[in-house]
Amino acid sequence: MSGYLEKIERAFADVSGVDQMKNYVQEALAEKVRPLEIIKHMREGLSIAGKKYEQGEYFLSELIMSGLMAQELSNMLKPYLQSSKSQFLARVAIGSVKGDLHDIGKSLVSTMLSSGGFEILDLGVDVPPEKFVETVEKDNPRIVAMSCLLTIAMDEMKNTIDRLEQSGVRKRVKVLVGGRPIASDFARQIGADGYGADAVDAVTAAKGVLEK
Amino acid sequence: MNKKDRVMRTLDHLEPDVVPITEMAIDPIHVENLAQTKLVGETSLQTQVSADRKAEANTVAAMVRTYQKLGFELIPCELSAPDGWSSQKNPDGTRTDEWGRVLSYDFKCRTWVPTSSIFTTPEDFERFPLPDPHASGRTFAVEEMKKKIGDDVALAGFIRDPFAHAWEMFKITNFVSWLYERPGIIRQAIEHLTDFNVEIMKRVVEAGADLIISGGDYAEKNGPLVPVKFFRDVIFPNLRRQVEVAHRAGLKFIKHSDGNLNPILDDLASIVDGLHSLDPTASMDIGQVKRRYGDRLVLIGNVSVDNLCRKTKEEIVQETKECLRKAAPGGGHILSSSNSWYTDAKLENCLAMLDAGRKYGRYPIDIP
Repeated sequence: MSGYLEKIERAFADVSGVDQMKNYVQEALAEKVRPLEIIKHMREGLSIAGKKYEQGEYFLSELIMSGLMAQELSNMLKPYLQSSKSQFLARVAIGSVKGDLHDIGKSLVSTMLSSGGFEILDLGVDVPPEKFVETVEKDNPRIVAMSCLLTIAMDEMKNTIDRLEQSGVRKRVKVLVGGRPIASDFARQIGADGYGADAVDAVTAAKGVLEK
Repeated sequence: MNKKDRVMRTLDHLEPDVVPITEMAIDPIHVENLAQTKLVGETSLQTQVSADRKAEANTVAAMVRTYQKLGFELIPCELSAPDGWSSQKNPDGTRTDEWGRVLSYDFKCRTWVPTSSIFTTPEDFERFPLPDPHASGRTFAVEEMKKKIGDDVALAGFIRDPFAHAWEMFKITNFVSWLYERPGIIRQAIEHLTDFNVEIMKRVVEAGADLIISGGDYAEKNGPLVPVKFFRDVIFPNLRRQVEVAHRAGLKFIKHSDGNLNPILDDLASIVDGLHSLDPTASMDIGQVKRRYGDRLVLIGNVSVDNLCRKTKEEIVQETKECLRKAAPGGGHILSSSNSWYTDAKLENCLAMLDAGRKYGRYPIDIP
């Protein structure tokens, strides 16, 4: 591995902050390291950070910071990747369901999916079923991901899946659900294709449903 | 022994006649059902939305009626906004509170919740005029409540934890980003918010509070929100400052937090007098906490709030019995859910928890 790539991977694994990561990336780009290689090593570093979070070595703030670093890196590399269409695994439309205004969990999942190689269409919070349907019709995502924190909003996940069915677009997408009150049993009951227990698991779940 | 005596004995780790019961909050739909009244004020569990004293008095009266009807021994009371203040109404229907938090209305729960912030850079905070703890009217609700309950029920002054407050004020991504890039600003914010709490707590004590409860989470289901070192370097010294104010006034200080607190329990047990919530879905085992810290920490919890929404009455009774069996012997336990009686909680389940608490919570604890 090039020393630059190793440093970049380490910066993500150690969550060393945006400034240091940017310095390494600038050095790598100056030495003509390929941007897609940089992204690959960013993902490796993020994966290490995610595992450390799951094992209790890292805390939520570190997971969020690693996501912010990934966003910053994506912005840095955008000019170099304009012509590369194969950089994303799939497009994901994500939102907190209707009646739920909570943003943190959804945004964290967005960030982790983004750093896991997915293209994100973040629909925000309090997203009605019609909006998910409209997005599937217009933007053609391969995955619809729904989040909720409130038990009272859980029914909206089922309503959204029903609406996707009624609109004839359900077969075009895989549906992922997650959030504090959501369990795998519930995901199965409402007809979702997958379930993420947390932001890190959501990446595994998203990759899993693509293989189904 | 009246209700307040029951709580005070419990806070002193003595066995009262029966385990006291309370909730940190009850959502408007349940209050209206139980108090048989219509709430007219605008509410939020995290902040103040207006200083409409007529509406606030109506809310206080409804809360007191609800807690009295349930026979709860402890009633929490939020701070009020200063006299004459009103939240800023934004063109998109949101509001901005006194602390720069942008609030959106949650139609299902009928409360305002922080969803955004006016702070986009650390400099925004440096220029921000912090609210004045000495402004008149901040203890309006506490005083109203004290007048209504007298010394029959224990009154908890409910304050916001500076760390959680700063986290909400800045929004989570800004908070984390500045924690790395401008840690001084985060430290400064927590210190300033602690200064506010120190002053406001003195007023809450004067208004007749019997204990202090500090709201705002330190953890999520996997563990603390920020590294333990940051807790020890910044959060805990400021928490200690607040606890000392309560202790100088002879009051106990209870910390609320959802989430998995296990990695910081040793520290918390050496600072605060009690913990509320003890979220069972986040690896908080009330029996284990009782065994390790029962001589130091009063435990308030922990019938799962999710189960109140989903399970049957019979299952709730079983869970309540289990909770009492683990936490109540020897005193130091106040029965409650692991958060609040949330809009979606089945009222019959909430009442089943209460009935089971009264039936099986009589000392000496002897649960079949």
